[in-house]
Amino acid sequence: MKVLATYNIKGGVGKTSTAVNLAYLAARGGRRTLLWDLDPQAAATYMFRVRPRVKGGGRALVTRRRPIEALLKATDFENLDLLPGDFSYRNMDLELDDTKKRTRRLGQLLDSVGADYDMVFLDCPPSISLVSENVLHASNTLLVPLIPATLSLRTLDQLTRFVADSQGSRPEVVAFFSMADRRKRLHRDVIDAIPRDRTRVADTVIPALSIIEQMAERRAPVPAFAPNSRAAQCYEQLWAEVCPQ
Amino acid sequence: MMSTIRVLQAADQGRLELESIVEVLSARFTVATGPKQVVRRRRLDTFDGRLRAAGRMLEHQIVAPGERLVLGRLDGSSTVAVPVQDLRWPARADVLPSGPVREAIASAIGIRALMVVSDQRRCMRRLELRNEDGKTVARVEVDEPASVSAVAASPAQLTVRGLRGYDEPARRADRLLVGLGLRPVEHGEDRAPSSAPKTSGTDRSAPAPVLLAAALSGFLLAMRENLPGLLDDVDIEFLHDFRVAVRRTRATLKLGRPALPEVMRSRWEPAFKSLGDLTTPVRDLDVYLLDLPTMSHWLVTAGPKDLDPLATHLRSRRTVARRPLVASLRSARFRRLVRGWGAELAGLVDMPQDGDREHLSAGQWADASISQAYRRVARGGAAIRADSPAADLHELRKRCKELRYALEVCAPVLPEGPRKHVIADLKGLQDVLGRFQDGEVQRHALRGFAEEMMTDGTSAGAVLAMGELIGHLDVEQDRARREFDGAFARFAGPSSQRLMQRLGGGR
Repeated sequence: MKVLATYNIKGGVGKTSTAVNLAYLAARGGRRTLLWDLDPQAAATYMFRVRPRVKGGGRALVTRRRPIEALLKATDFENLDLLPGDFSYRNMDLELDDTKKRTRRLGQLLDSVGADYDMVFLDCPPSISLVSENVLHASNTLLVPLIPATLSLRTLDQLTRFVADSQGSRPEVVAFFSMADRRKRLHRDVIDAIPRDRTRVADTVIPALSIIEQMAERRAPVPAFAPNSRAAQCYEQLWAEVCPQ
Repeated sequence: MMSTIRVLQAADQGRLELESIVEVLSARFTVATGPKQVVRRRRLDTFDGRLRAAGRMLEHQIVAPGERLVLGRLDGSSTVAVPVQDLRWPARADVLPSGPVREAIASAIGIRALMVVSDQRRCMRRLELRNEDGKTVARVEVDEPASVSAVAASPAQLTVRGLRGYDEPARRADRLLVGLGLRPVEHGEDRAPSSAPKTSGTDRSAPAPVLLAAALSGFLLAMRENLPGLLDDVDIEFLHDFRVAVRRTRATLKLGRPALPEVMRSRWEPAFKSLGDLTTPVRDLDVYLLDLPTMSHWLVTAGPKDLDPLATHLRSRRTVARRPLVASLRSARFRRLVRGWGAELAGLVDMPQDGDREHLSAGQWADASISQAYRRVARGGAAIRADSPAADLHELRKRCKELRYALEVCAPVLPEGPRKHVIADLKGLQDVLGRFQDGEVQRHALRGFAEEMMTDGTSAGAVLAMGELIGHLDVEQDRARREFDGAFARFAGPSSQRLMQRLGGGR
């Protein structure tokens, strides 16, 4: 089982769109895939038309009062299951803080379904918190969407340091540009200038396209409702770049 | 992921009325009816049913405009699908797209090829049952034969599939459909490919030829079943299993001499020896090719690529070696041999007793055969000294195989527990002897291949790499030789002897 987390300290950078589309592509390619929507806003859950509710809330999950298997939901797509988001996840830091090995608990929970899945995607909330530390320990890859702006590079720097300073096993950090608009000079400049020596940066750039915004309206991944669109092709390219062998 | 709730069919096994089905389900769900699609469903497995044995079911489904491979569990508990293109059968797992489906299949089937075990055209229609959020919460698959003539053999079926986390909607759909008059059927399963017939149930007091004829008929069936795959070179196990059947036949004929007519010794023993010898060159080359990936890990200074010329040489030799084998197995002479042997076996049970033969019961013959085979192993093993030539160990290995075959052929008249324990002990000894003999044979063979390849102008790197392999085999053979005393002592120890006595072999 490989774990890939879409993560950024900033919000609104395309984490959920990336997690939803890549999870769909992994499943379409035959991998038994789970997407865990860790964000209390539960946008990924909404996109799969699943109700954003976890029985017993985040506490029951973190304390193992309710086994993770009992909370999984199949999506409408073959090979793709979802662990829904829940508004109670806003308190997940507190729940984790009360547990033993508080920075490893999410990884332990995932281990219990390791035999059922080849690929797990974690759609993370935007913050640096105990949840983030758990995500670092549980993940093989941290996929970081960046809007091409100067401040994004600073954020990537902070994030890279955060990973480097963390104890124990560290995921590979892979950044990629998201919501890019080639018509904007600043976007072009930032994409060209990003230093690629310290952090791996994917070649694929996900453009700002209205069809990606339509995911919330269509409540489905882009490659499912617009398989021939440019956006679908971009996500396919990105998946080809970052998918674990 | 999906799981099967139940398979249903019309009470009269006739057509399923789609309109009625949709109407009844619409009471609780929004039903989205998919298009009717003709699906070619090819069920795949290895010849010896390895996927089925692993609790798996694999289908190659062709639905215009695409194809997919669907891997599921026999109990219908889950399915995984992966898109594929232009797959042709038979084929090994390495032709499948890389990923977890291939990995799961490869680990179950090993070196065997996947073959089509059933091929049907079905008309499929999928109904998505959705809740008020538009989320699919259950699926119903309507599956009908594509032609009227196939209805009797495989009537229309309807499968209710539950989705993970949505058990209740699937159960509700099932209840609605049963209320419509559909009735549940058992989850349909194909029969596994046939294997050698079991000879269990033979009475110890039955004449020995009855037991022998049953065993020999089983081996003949195995030869016949493996012949097409061997001739088409589907995978190397067909030849292997064919050879095993021939070897078991030879060993059974030899052990059965006291109970069998003279013609078996004068005519059939030489015939099967020739048949076995005919298959040896190709099998030897198969083993080298199969072992090459493992051998490449033995290399210290050379790299795996240095063995590429050897692989090419082996494949070329194999192509040449297969020609006489295939020609012989396609010949009228071979067909006569098989036909004649079948007739001989059919007449064996009713054959009047030869005046010189003993009137042995199956039990008496089994006891005597195992006793004799065991004595030979015990004597041969005890005679092995530190300076015994390799040929003596090879002879002992052959005696061990005879004992093993005797224990297998006589299984129907032996107590199962002691027999299994003795076989387990014997396996340990056979493993050591096998490794010793493989080292001996492979070292000589590699030397021979190197000479042939040098004549063809092979690279120095290839020859040096082969030299490393020979060095490794030498070390392994020494190791096996050192392990022999311990393995033999375990096999010939008091506990094994007690077990053999219970099997009639310790006398």
